[in-house]
Amino acid sequence: MITFGILAQFAALVFTLLAMGLLLCGLGRNNVRLVQAGKRGLLSATAATTLASIALGYLFLTDNFQVEYVASYSDRALPLFYKLTAFWAGQKGSLLFWAWVLSLFITLVIFNNRKEQDDRNTPYIYLVLAATLGFFLFLLCAVSNPFDTLGFMPQDGNGLNPMLQNPGMVFHPPLLFFGYIGFTIPFAYAIAAMITGNTDADWIRKTRVWNVLSWIFLSIGIILGGQWAYVELGWGGYWAWDPVENASFIPWLVSTAFIHTAIIQERRGIMKVWNMVLILLTFTLCIFGTYLVRSGVLQSVHDFGATGLGGYFLFFVAVVLIGGIYLLAESYGEFKTPGSVESYLSRESTFLFNNVILLALAFATLLGTVFPIISEAVTGNKLTVGQPFFNQVNTPLFLILVLLTGICPLIGWRKATASNLRRNFLRPAATALLAAIIMVAFGIREPYALLAFTLAAFVGGTIVQEYVTAIRSRKKLTGESSASAGLKLLWRMRRRYGGHIVHFGLAMMVVGIAASSAYKLESQGTLNRGETLAIGEFTLKYEDFRIYQKYNRTVYAAKLGIFREGKRIDELEAERRNYINAKQPTTEVAIRSTLIEDLYVTMPGIGRNNEITLKVAVNPLLIWIWFGSGLMVLGGVLAIIPSRRKKHA
Amino acid sequence: MKKSNRKVLIAILVIVIGVGFLIYRGLSSTSVYYMTVAELKTSSLGQQLGPDQAVRVGGLVINGSVDYNQRDLVLRFALKDEGNPQQTITAIYKGARPDAFEPDIEALLEGTYDRDQNLFQAKTLLVKCPSKYESEPKPEKENTQ
Repeated sequence: MITFGILAQFAALVFTLLAMGLLLCGLGRNNVRLVQAGKRGLLSATAATTLASIALGYLFLTDNFQVEYVASYSDRALPLFYKLTAFWAGQKGSLLFWAWVLSLFITLVIFNNRKEQDDRNTPYIYLVLAATLGFFLFLLCAVSNPFDTLGFMPQDGNGLNPMLQNPGMVFHPPLLFFGYIGFTIPFAYAIAAMITGNTDADWIRKTRVWNVLSWIFLSIGIILGGQWAYVELGWGGYWAWDPVENASFIPWLVSTAFIHTAIIQERRGIMKVWNMVLILLTFTLCIFGTYLVRSGVLQSVHDFGATGLGGYFLFFVAVVLIGGIYLLAESYGEFKTPGSVESYLSRESTFLFNNVILLALAFATLLGTVFPIISEAVTGNKLTVGQPFFNQVNTPLFLILVLLTGICPLIGWRKATASNLRRNFLRPAATALLAAIIMVAFGIREPYALLAFTLAAFVGGTIVQEYVTAIRSRKKLTGESSASAGLKLLWRMRRRYGGHIVHFGLAMMVVGIAASSAYKLESQGTLNRGETLAIGEFTLKYEDFRIYQKYNRTVYAAKLGIFREGKRIDELEAERRNYINAKQPTTEVAIRSTLIEDLYVTMPGIGRNNEITLKVAVNPLLIWIWFGSGLMVLGGVLAIIPSRRKKHA
Repeated sequence: MKKSNRKVLIAILVIVIGVGFLIYRGLSSTSVYYMTVAELKTSSLGQQLGPDQAVRVGGLVINGSVDYNQRDLVLRFALKDEGNPQQTITAIYKGARPDAFEPDIEALLEGTYDRDQNLFQAKTLLVKCPSKYESEPKPEKENTQ
């Protein structure tokens, strides 16, 4: 199986190089059949990467610890599910996974376009895709091979890090990868359009689903990462502006900007160069993020170690950036657009401002992340920034972004008039004002939190107003009931309402983030059985202690009764676990989640006579973050469900 | 250039300047030096640090130096320089011991350094979580019971 895996990997590389050769020849001779053959080469490469992936999965399932990668991330006692997902627990397997998914995506592109006539762009598109795939396959075959063997068969493997034995962590990396890899496709289309000078919005229209889908995957990946940190790591938060987190957040910001201005190019045919810049940046940042994470140049909690891959990724990034800039400069003349933003009070201009803010956020986050490197290069001393920097700089920018999210749908395309502005703004502004007054009445004084709640109410108000107005006019037109009109609108105009749902989810997230960061309560204490600890309106009572074996771990669990106003309303079990193969016991988080607040309990210590030390926090409205992000994803999905008719507004 | 275009450009310029100012202020008010243990103790920059000035320091946790009071959640340990293990500091961190914290691991502390007592008061403690466990597969129970 090991030899089989190595051979399959190598075959994939050969097929990919062959495909590149065929495509290049096809280009040179203008030969359609060679281009077709090139595509078939890519399909063969997909078959080969699939076989290689099956081989690696099989090695994990059969506990073949002769393979260094398997021995490093699995052991006999590991549950079956985690044995399979240990595939991407480390660097080498991740690379194979990346190559496999990219080849599958390429296959999907070929399959989707099977009925379309090839045009001038086609060979270039597949050439870019093949080159990217080839890069990863080269790394797999030559630099970081998951099928490397130890030369002997150890008794057992080292096991999977207990912290990674969590469903959130299992799906977080592959979803991020789907996002990163997905952007390869619009990138390839964009490069092809630049080379052939095909200046219309054709590439944007054809790759819209890929863009939004990649954005959705990236979003889910980031959210799962945050959720994992929250439920597993036990420090009580979900985001720490760690370099690894930032590495995924920066391309997310830029791709969000791109999704917005892509709409403008589709509708108005302007901002062509800008969109090229954004997709170039998105793709580059995806790869650069991988570089940051893999190269060991930054100090991060997540250590992938200096793996010797950094240089290759940096080289790839440099090629993409320099090549992209060169092509852009070459084709700039053809891309210059006749039209322009006609008024600073137009929907186009709010999109433009939204782009500036999103890019500012991306820039600030990137600068903060690589600041140690820059400052050392400039001054010789390493200066670092941490959470305070990101919170201080990004919070106001985010609030402006939320404001723009609210304003944007209220302003028409091209140029808004004063009277329709007044009419559109009245109700949402009143909603926001009312929300602010209620908040102040309830004693909310924290300026940022107050502002965040007000702006979120404003966004919610604009979306509800839009929807209600649309339902009313549809009812008038068709005589349907409100519910039926509402549902039909959602479905018929799913692209528009998908967007609105994303924004509504964003507003919910903003509320959750503001409330849980500004009004968090924390407490800690050491308890003997029967003793209590109070936090906010809750009292926790230490009721019972037990030790038991489960799967590959020993669990030490303390039962806590939760009391409010003297009444026992619920119970939680705080745990520490000893995994086989792990040196340290791990802390498990116990959470009681409601719409109002999360009660968050960890047990950092167990002393003599089962005396326990508890850390407790109350995080108000935290669940709104997960609901909001879920809505964002749903809205995104709604927006890309294809319509049967080929085109719609 | 059309008038409306100019207005949009001016607005963008204003935003960019504002963002630049925000970033500049953020960097100047929150950035702290990163040093290794040896640099903290011997470099001229390290010597100049005031007792209240925040600094980030990285080093290896010395085996046998860890003293964790899990009742009050106070973690005391000593840190040595990775390249120059003679250079050491003692550190105190008030908080729960992170799961991945163990002897010989690389730790990043942020806080203030008291040169006279050679004591680092850590406000934050980050440990690099090793993505795998290299040593003998024998479960330990030092932290429970």
